[in-house]
Amino acid sequence: MTTMPAGRGAPAPDRALQTAAPAGHSRDRRGSPIPTVGMIATRVMELRKRRGLMIALIVATIGFPALFLLIRLLLHAFAPGTSPPAGGYDIFKVLVAGFLPTFGFIAAATVGCTAGSRDLTEGMFRHLVVTGRSRLALYLARIPAGLAIVVPLVAIGYTIVCAVSVFAAPTFIIDSNVNIPPGLSRAGFENWAGDRPEPVICSLPYDGHIPGSIACAGPPGWSKSAVTPGQPAPAALEALAIKIASQDYSGYTAISRYPSIPLMVTAGLWIELEAAVGFILGLGLASLMGQRTGPVILIIVLQMILTPILAFAAIPHLQGLQRSFIGLAVAHLEPSGLPMFFGLPGVTGGSGGPGAALLPESAIQASCVVIAWLAGWTILGAWRMMTRDA
Amino acid sequence: MNTTTLPGTPGKLAAGSRWAVETHGLTKRFGAKTPVNGVELLVPRGSAFGYLGPNGAGKTTLIRVLLGLTHADAGTMSLLGYPVPRHHAAALARIGAIVDEPRFHRHLTGRQNLRLLAAAREPAARDRIAPALERVGLAHRADDRVSTYSMGMRQRLGVAACLLPDPQLLILDEPMNGLDPAGMAAIREMILSLVAEGRTVMLSSHLLDEVERTCDAVAIVDHGSIIRQGPISELLAGALLAVQVECSEPGRARALLAGTTLGARVEAAPAALGLEITLPAGTGHDVIAEINRVLVEGGISVYRLQPVQASLESWFLQVTSRLGDPE
Repeated sequence: MTTMPAGRGAPAPDRALQTAAPAGHSRDRRGSPIPTVGMIATRVMELRKRRGLMIALIVATIGFPALFLLIRLLLHAFAPGTSPPAGGYDIFKVLVAGFLPTFGFIAAATVGCTAGSRDLTEGMFRHLVVTGRSRLALYLARIPAGLAIVVPLVAIGYTIVCAVSVFAAPTFIIDSNVNIPPGLSRAGFENWAGDRPEPVICSLPYDGHIPGSIACAGPPGWSKSAVTPGQPAPAALEALAIKIASQDYSGYTAISRYPSIPLMVTAGLWIELEAAVGFILGLGLASLMGQRTGPVILIIVLQMILTPILAFAAIPHLQGLQRSFIGLAVAHLEPSGLPMFFGLPGVTGGSGGPGAALLPESAIQASCVVIAWLAGWTILGAWRMMTRDA
Repeated sequence: MNTTTLPGTPGKLAAGSRWAVETHGLTKRFGAKTPVNGVELLVPRGSAFGYLGPNGAGKTTLIRVLLGLTHADAGTMSLLGYPVPRHHAAALARIGAIVDEPRFHRHLTGRQNLRLLAAAREPAARDRIAPALERVGLAHRADDRVSTYSMGMRQRLGVAACLLPDPQLLILDEPMNGLDPAGMAAIREMILSLVAEGRTVMLSSHLLDEVERTCDAVAIVDHGSIIRQGPISELLAGALLAVQVECSEPGRARALLAGTTLGARVEAAPAALGLEITLPAGTGHDVIAEINRVLVEGGISVYRLQPVQASLESWFLQVTSRLGDPE
């Protein structure tokens, strides 16, 4: 028998008993902290059967972007003159840098909070502890189970966005509000510009002198029809347009109709990272607090209020603390080629990207912060689960 | 008490201990309260053992300590011969338990809840789900959501969960709460059949009549300590409640008894055929002989002396109320 001290705390070790363990005990491996496949599979089932949670998760990760894109597809199909194509690089950037990571994070965190608290609040934790299975294994089984639900759903939503962005992309390139045919050579681009001096001179960037006598009617709209064939122009205007096109050719070639495959891959991984972080954070926090609602609210406040504030407010002497926030760290890992996270269009973001308004932080620092948060919340949640009275 | 393994005992006995549950000086404190106070408990293997106590006596807390749901502050304990908490995993591998009201994931079916629990046990536990549901009479509702279950059905599902490990020991905390008479009878029959298979059932309850019908031995707990324990037959053997006396002159017999030293110990009251003499707790059979001698020497014809055996309930009330009285 194990002897316990007369004071508080866990039982004291009893060396004599270690050698007196009954035969057959060593064959029982349920004390192992590694969850079995069966435990993970039933955990997946337990989460998957939560109808409300799954509906919310599907709506947030798939439903909203799919609905948004469907409406755009329909509008463009029925009114192509006034409605732009549903896909394209710009739409991809809007969804991938703003909507998907934010809602994916919150939805994943909600799943994590559910996984971390419902056994306790619904009375199953006690049954599970009585099985003799390691409490650590019980906790760890929730991680792959939750991710097995969150990751595919986020991936499906993201795949829809990518597919529409590519297959419903505009047939022209929009450079400084000028619609330009894609794939032109330098000479072809210059010829195209020479035929359309007015929009080229008035809209494309040019690092040189433009005569003040040229009257610009304002930027053209979305429609291709807004770009009218150039009127017979004086040779000087045509030459100026060709010069501008020649100077802007590198900018033209840098613009894509739709996102590149490397960008889609890295952005997808980044969105999945965002969702995984949300899930682990929710799981740990809910396990620690023993409830779901409070942690969900805290995570929403953290993600949607605190993180944007901390991203753009450099607080003297506390910048190290600011950098340690998970939202900023993940934002720093955003692939270049996307506008900055938190819905600030026009700011070139990504790790180390030019013009980034985030508090400076290296990719290594950001990665360390992310790893620390994942490990820290996993340890905290597991510790609470192992020490909690059932 | 049965101290050996019966034929057909499930699994392999963990150790040679004759006790399924053994605690010494087990103590659990919550601040200033001590719901488990130096408990010395011995539950023999292969028996149905009742763990009785008034509300708040510390029954559930002791069970939670035994099962590792909360830590003990002092004392020693072993389950099925395994010292715990050191070997909780090994001990719990052969223990099924209901603690408090059995609660499950309400959005899952009964079968799915059992799958969740079986997955945390050994692989063979999954194969026991269907037989367990069958045994508790829940097979026809196994694929309905638990949210549609009555309290009694959840209790039965809890018992089914207890059967998943093919247990040598079942610890059931108030398993008959919320059950109708038919449900209580079903659980009682099941407990008896489990014991007949050589398993040990430790039953915590305040339904004394059910415990008396079901259990071989009991322990009475009050204020966190065990005040009596042993086989019910032995505990009640010396616990007479009353003696019914048929005699020739009941009135004179009553006065006669009051005038002797017996008068301070017993209380005689008129009854249909004579007297009913209430005896204090712990009174032995020698008092009956003493009553007979006093009446006969007083010239009263005694036709019949009928000892009335105390029920577990009356004995329990005597024992706990006596100890609960202020000194």
